[in-house]
Amino acid sequence: MIEVSNLRKEYDGVVAVDGISFKVEKGEIFALLGPNGAGKTTTIKSILGLINYEGEIKIEGKEARSNEKEIKRKLGYLPEKVAFYDNLTAIQTLQFFAELKGLKNVDFMALLKEVGLEKDAERKVGGYSKGMLQRLGFAQCIMGSPSLLILDEPTTGLDAVGAYELREKIKRLNEEGVTILLSSHILSEVQELSHRVAIMNKGKIVAIDTVENLSKKFEVEPRLRVELQRPSDYILKLVKGIKSVKDVKADGNVLEILCPPSAKLSIINTIEEAGGKILDFKTVEPTLEEIFIKVVKENE
Amino acid sequence: MNEIVAIAKKEFMDNWRNKWVIAVSSIFVILTLVISYFGSGFGSGGVGWKDLDVTIAGMMTLVSILIPIIGLMLGYAAIVGEREKGSLELLLSYPVKREEVIAGKFIGLGAVMAMANFIGFGIAGIIIGINVKDVAWGDYFIFILSSILLGLVFISIALFFSSIFKKRSTAMGGAIFLWFLFEMIWDIVLAGILMAQYGIGKLSDPDFVAPSYYYIISLMNPVKAYSTLAALNISSISSNLGNLPSFVNTPFVLAILFAWMIVMLAGGYLIFKRKDL
Ligand SMILES: Nc1ncnc2c1ncn2[C@@H]1O[C@H](COP(=O)(O)OP(=O)(O)OP(=O)(O)O)[C@@H](O)[C@H]1O
Ligand SMILES: [Mg+2]
Repeated sequence: MIEVSNLRKEYDGVVAVDGISFKVEKGEIFALLGPNGAGKTTTIKSILGLINYEGEIKIEGKEARSNEKEIKRKLGYLPEKVAFYDNLTAIQTLQFFAELKGLKNVDFMALLKEVGLEKDAERKVGGYSKGMLQRLGFAQCIMGSPSLLILDEPTTGLDAVGAYELREKIKRLNEEGVTILLSSHILSEVQELSHRVAIMNKGKIVAIDTVENLSKKFEVEPRLRVELQRPSDYILKLVKGIKSVKDVKADGNVLEILCPPSAKLSIINTIEEAGGKILDFKTVEPTLEEIFIKVVKENE
Repeated sequence: MNEIVAIAKKEFMDNWRNKWVIAVSSIFVILTLVISYFGSGFGSGGVGWKDLDVTIAGMMTLVSILIPIIGLMLGYAAIVGEREKGSLELLLSYPVKREEVIAGKFIGLGAVMAMANFIGFGIAGIIIGINVKDVAWGDYFIFILSSILLGLVFISIALFFSSIFKKRSTAMGGAIFLWFLFEMIWDIVLAGILMAQYGIGKLSDPDFVAPSYYYIISLMNPVKAYSTLAALNISSISSNLGNLPSFVNTPFVLAILFAWMIVMLAGGYLIFKRKDL
């Protein structure tokens, strides 16, 4: 769907994106993840032709700049900083953008209802709060059912419920076949939403894969969390002594044990045999945060 | 094409909603009526309604100062304002090319200018027409059309500054500078050059004819091109012309005015195209 090759962008002396290449496949949710200033927005703006860049970008096999109009008819974009026309109402705003896309018979009210702005439809956008602007921003980008959505930090400015609802909508649209490229620095969000992630740092892609594969690759493994009634140094030592256990951390009553899943049973047995009373235990999946920190640190 | 129309329509409606069209029209109505009734301050005929062509003569100077101001004010923020605010980024993520944004804004603002001129001068013309005997409608119509043309030139100049700068304030500075350049500096500098070349004695000779380059450079100033266009085509003010070389005719000054529009819009586009949002 999107094919970026050797993309490079320099802003008078500052290299914002430093020769990156990646592909977003049709039908997937692809996330650009990275700290502030990593080059996410710059990458997105290049794809949209909003800035000049070096390198090649293809969308649905077509060179992006020379097929700009055709591509943008089937694309929805939510900018990082959403801004509209203060003097227009939400309805007038959507009407204007619908006209630009050549859309007819759009049910603007239904669209606003979808993002929870139906009561503010006739209000001027100039009086909108940050979150309301973000909602309207989402409404305009899904208008006309585009086949590709590009969302630059879609949940910024939204309250918890709003962010949750938006994530659900993104998932639903994706299930309906929409390809989604999003950027974020909220790890849990990316982990929950995306099929594949490109981790960016200082203008480069430092890792790119599914969350699952990334955790394997960077050896961030699931952990066993065991809550004991009374932990002791003896138990700690015994657990550490089990062959396949890689690491044990004690935090109050909780032991966090880094081990392959096959070692779980022997760990539990060892603890019980040593007289330890287990109150609770569960497996904690690796988080993107761990991967992220590891990857970014390795590349510093 | 659809996109240009959509942008033009929005630009026009913005100025309709914020009462610009009405405000500018009202200024034109009041100005025309005041000048027609009271004269332009040079004692031309005393108090009482004057014929339209006399009115035109009284209005030329004021209009050639006012229309550029209105054109610049209408256009200077049209693009840079959206850029500063951030809405330009969203706009250009739609199937709209940068040249279409400029074209749409030009057409929309041009329509505001044209409408304000027609309504303003139209209403004033009708009121004057009811009160006087000989109505030179033809001349008056030419006057309105030339004023609109001047307005369009200054809208293009404003759009040029609006496309090339990152900040509203810089674009406004550019617009103000150009206004001073055309309304004051241009003539003074040219007069200075003539003075240096010929000396004051020769210049005050009534039969003195300036060299061709003087007319060409002088008419490059769109304000001068406008007043010459009007004088060439409106009999009551043709005495403003003085001695003119033969190449100065209507097509020549029209070409200058259109060249300004094209150069400003195209130049603005070429620079705007290379800008990052
Ligand atoms: N218009 C600009 N002019 C100059 N430098 C810029 C411009 N836009 C971005 N940069 C620089 O390019 C680099 C990448 O910025 P970019 O906005 O792409 O980062 P990001 O990953 O989107 O960050 P964030 O998470 O803060 O949104 C930064 O160093 C930034 O300062
Ligand atoms: Mg960003």
